[in-house]
Amino acid sequence: MKPVPEKNEIILELKEVNKSFGGLLAVNRVNLSVNKGELRALIGPNGAGKTTLLNLVNGTLPVSGGHIFFKGKEITNLSPHRISHIGIARTLQITSLFSGLTVYENIWTAVQSRKKFFNPFIRALKWQDVKEKTESMLDLTGFKDKAHLICSELSYGDQRILEMGIALSTEPDLLLLDEPTAGLNSQESMALVKKMRSMLSGQTIILVEHDMGVVMELADNISVLHYGAIIAEGAPDVIKENEEVKKVYLGSEHA
Amino acid sequence: MISNLAVAIMNGIVWGLIMALIALGLNMIFGLLHIINMAHGALYMLGAVVAWYVIELTGNFWIGLMVAPLCVGFIGLIIERGLIRTIEDKPIITIICTFGVMLAVQQLVLMIFGGSPRRISPPIAYRFPLFDLQYPAMRIMIALISIALMIGLWIFLRKTKYGLWMRAVVQDREMAVGLGIPVNKVYMWTFVLGSALAAFSGVLAAPIVSVEFMMGREVLIMAFIIVIVGGMGNLEGSVIAAIMISLIQGVGALFVPPSIATVFALAFMIIVLLIRPQGLFGE
Repeated sequence: MKPVPEKNEIILELKEVNKSFGGLLAVNRVNLSVNKGELRALIGPNGAGKTTLLNLVNGTLPVSGGHIFFKGKEITNLSPHRISHIGIARTLQITSLFSGLTVYENIWTAVQSRKKFFNPFIRALKWQDVKEKTESMLDLTGFKDKAHLICSELSYGDQRILEMGIALSTEPDLLLLDEPTAGLNSQESMALVKKMRSMLSGQTIILVEHDMGVVMELADNISVLHYGAIIAEGAPDVIKENEEVKKVYLGSEHA
Repeated sequence: MISNLAVAIMNGIVWGLIMALIALGLNMIFGLLHIINMAHGALYMLGAVVAWYVIELTGNFWIGLMVAPLCVGFIGLIIERGLIRTIEDKPIITIICTFGVMLAVQQLVLMIFGGSPRRISPPIAYRFPLFDLQYPAMRIMIALISIALMIGLWIFLRKTKYGLWMRAVVQDREMAVGLGIPVNKVYMWTFVLGSALAAFSGVLAAPIVSVEFMMGREVLIMAFIIVIVGGMGNLEGSVIAAIMISLIQGVGALFVPPSIATVFALAFMIIVLLIRPQGLFGE
């Protein structure tokens, strides 16, 4: 387990957040707070509202009720663009990278997104600090040797790692990972998890993941969603032993 | 016969390079803004007309070649900010609106410039022997300038921040927004760049054809054919398709009247689309 940060500074807080689609209550009065530096996993059966919850946090969907605070400021119903600028990055279930650009160009584009100044005639690849940061991100993600490959030539597993690298390169205060191991075989999954541990240390993360092995391996704390409501919350060991979680998550025959 | 063929091939390549510039602008605007710019031919014509005035005033072709793209680029900026910005993401509306811009530009030019064709005489009068015929050196110059512009564009797209942004927006608009790329500004400058490229080709074409208010009409149709044959969104494909189609037309015109030679180009497009509906180099 990662060391818990000394100050338990809350970075994201959801208060009584609701989301309904017509008559369906997809997210039901969720209260959730995530500390700085924490890796929080959201688990739950299919349709429990995990992805919807991420969509509410990054503004893709408007909330039906309740409030969301990030770094002490209310961000409820801000546009995704604004929220991304405030410092919440997200990877999607589907691949999110520029597949026709090179690995280097992908990381570069992400790194420069934090730069405010603006000069169209600056030569991209000579822009000193962006260049340095891009290279250090290539090191961190292990893509140094593959920097000049077009992304579509990478293996699927590498693409998922690169996606995470892109999201990280924007230096987010909070990173939302939506099923990073989706579509990977178990071997690739474990390789990705290993990579994630080295890449993501110290980063505040909300992770939505189906694979229990991955969740137990990475999470500091787990929140369990069932029919849009949080039914349990705690450290992986605690959640593993929780009877109600076993019942909804593993099916009643295990209870 | 051999010299006629050589001239036809030379003309095909020169005209193909001019067409490539027009098609590149059209294709970039399509690839980024997802709009079909019906006014593109009118911007080409406007480039030639502005150059005609500048050359009348200064007597210097090269000043015309510099000034016209700047003026037309500025007009492109007004069209993008004033019109296209307000209707983006409505494909049919953008076609109708840019068609309206085309008519407006044509009629304005007709009012001011008049309806009769005028000539821009080539600044280089030298002709060199090509087999037993003479070939104007100006056309070689036109080809070289076109190639230089394309190389410049390639470097711009590959090596500058703005070029990388443009390629990123083409790939995935939403992700580009998410990464803080100023997509609106990228759209604007793409339209300006496309307009300026159309103007460049208008000026370069002017010493070969005559300058008149309808000169953009056929060029627009050919540019669309080139973009479709080369593959929508594929810039290299546009260049290759432009040269292929111009060669087919140019060589075809040796055997049939030039207006009928267009049939060859259309037939070529039909064959390409039957075999590769996404275009020769489309994905």
